[in-house]
Amino acid sequence: MSQLELRSIRKTYSGVAEETLKGIDIDIASGEFIILVGPSGCGKSTLMNTIAGLETITDGSIVLDGKDISTMEPKDRDIAMVFQSYALYPTMSVRENIAFGLKIRGKPKEEIAQEVARVADLLQISHLLDKKPSRLSGGQQQRVAMGRALARRPRIYLFDEPLSNLDAKLRVEMRTEIKKLHQRLKTTIVYVTHDQIEAMTLADRIAVLKDGELQQLGTPKEVYNTPANLFVAGFMGSPAMSFVPVTVEQGEHGLQAEVRGNDGGTIKLPVPDYLADRVGREVILGIRPEHITQPQDQKDDQDLVTKGQFTIEVTEPTGPDVIALIQLNDTNVHCRIDPEHPVTWGETAELMFDMKKVVFFDPETEKRIAA
Amino acid sequence: MTDVVRTGIRPSRVAIYGVLLLAALVYLIPLFIMLVTSFKTPMDIRTGNLMALPTDWTIIGWTKAWSEACTGVDCGGIRGYFWNSFKMTVPAVLISTLLGAFNGYVLSKWKFKGSNLFFGMLLFGCFVPFQVVLLPMAATLGQLGLANTTTGLVLVHVIYGVAFTTLFFRNYYVAIPDALIKAARLDGAGFFTIFFRILLPMSTPIFMVSLIWQFTQIWNDFLFGVVFASGDSQPITVALNNLVNTSTGVKEYNVDMAAAMIAALPTLVVYIVAGKYFIRGLTAGSVKG
Repeated sequence: MSQLELRSIRKTYSGVAEETLKGIDIDIASGEFIILVGPSGCGKSTLMNTIAGLETITDGSIVLDGKDISTMEPKDRDIAMVFQSYALYPTMSVRENIAFGLKIRGKPKEEIAQEVARVADLLQISHLLDKKPSRLSGGQQQRVAMGRALARRPRIYLFDEPLSNLDAKLRVEMRTEIKKLHQRLKTTIVYVTHDQIEAMTLADRIAVLKDGELQQLGTPKEVYNTPANLFVAGFMGSPAMSFVPVTVEQGEHGLQAEVRGNDGGTIKLPVPDYLADRVGREVILGIRPEHITQPQDQKDDQDLVTKGQFTIEVTEPTGPDVIALIQLNDTNVHCRIDPEHPVTWGETAELMFDMKKVVFFDPETEKRIAA
Repeated sequence: MTDVVRTGIRPSRVAIYGVLLLAALVYLIPLFIMLVTSFKTPMDIRTGNLMALPTDWTIIGWTKAWSEACTGVDCGGIRGYFWNSFKMTVPAVLISTLLGAFNGYVLSKWKFKGSNLFFGMLLFGCFVPFQVVLLPMAATLGQLGLANTTTGLVLVHVIYGVAFTTLFFRNYYVAIPDALIKAARLDGAGFFTIFFRILLPMSTPIFMVSLIWQFTQIWNDFLFGVVFASGDSQPITVALNNLVNTSTGVKEYNVDMAAAMIAALPTLVVYIVAGKYFIRGLTAGSVKG
């Protein structure tokens, strides 16, 4: 149970012109589950390695429970890490793997045995204790790797893309497992992933990184509903948010923006009042698939809701819904449609636009226009 | 692709096996001649066919070579020199292998500024011909007071061997994921603990490669032995040469052959015992997966 502060962390590798981390500030509360997410090369793994002490920082400080640990050796930081490749010691049995850190720290034998038993029980790997890692399946190795981290009861747990080597089904299972574990143990976790679904499902707060800069730090809901900029908006959510350039106009019943389908027909979308000072200017409309659906009667007379006819270009049934592709102002836009409501590609369908949750971005700064 | 199940023997197969068999024979004939000659009596050798089996099997050649044959003025057989070789080879092999393992560990997992350059320069050691270092080495050994001693020979072989053993271990360790080292560091293990507890236990295949390679090199070395050792400290390769070149009347080919067999036996044994690791270790470093 520990609190971690990252204060304007900078990192430049020798011989590399550009900074890898350009001043990262994150405060992590005790017991919080923080996920660092971003595309490859964004610096998330580097940031994690600096927390662990495996890499030095060029500037800034890392403070753990009020104590600056920036220059400490990894072994003195009391931090445990779960690696993407698991990094289990191949010549040791599962038991020895879990006990290694405790043995190095000179814990008495009985205490080690007790701790190994506790962890093995917690992760349901008691029956594997005498096996070598090479005899285990990927999921079992993953559990052992977590066991090795848990056994030491460190102050912070670091997870470096722990699920990316597992197959899709197992990944979802282990995801739930990790979440359960966190809810039970209430430990502080910093978790790196490039998978935005993992980030959404697991995190208390998400830190989105790009090119060594923190783009947004917030709860999954905040990051999803009010993304700070175009990058975050495009990165979180699957299928991704669609971006349509529109011009804000003053209509009879308030502000509106005109969009044109691929058959040339146009409709006026109602837009919220906070865009009043942008009348006559172009903004980027960020619209998620779930904002465009089949017509729903109960929404008919709500504000900021409208309907229009559009040609369906592609349909992708996913089971719970059908993702349909339409074009608005020459941009591909995904819609999420109830599978009970038949739509056929190549034909027109009536679609309902719910503009209450859409977001708008400034085309110059790419930042979200605040409500 | 063809679905036809071939039965019978194809001519191409016959040709391949024929060539292989011939090659094997060419290599085995000298060994065969040595072996049968060593069990013949001098009489038998002079009158009989080179390829023929002994008419009377005798081990007199072997016992004489071991304990009575003359190497120069000394006539105590090659027994003493055989042990000399052991006293030289075993420490030299173990020390150079351990140093190589340690070097390889540092050069692959604890890289420092210029470590690649350092490794590149070390590799030059693999290509320096023995003859080039003879004089400077002799001077060095003399100054260290190790001239004409087994310890001096061990030192020479360790220095010469470290280039090779470092190459072996460095390439083997490079293929081991760095995450393992990181995990151990977070677990609280230091520089030496990681080496002895994590990496060394994983090194059996490459250890065997280094062991075989170094044993063969050092045991079979003649040049360093003849230059840097004298009299009682000479290794068996030098003694064998002296034995063959010492003529007291009739040439005793059976004794020469037996002595040569004795000199070659330890390397043979090492190959047979550790050979299966040799191939495994050689491929482990180079081929992934």
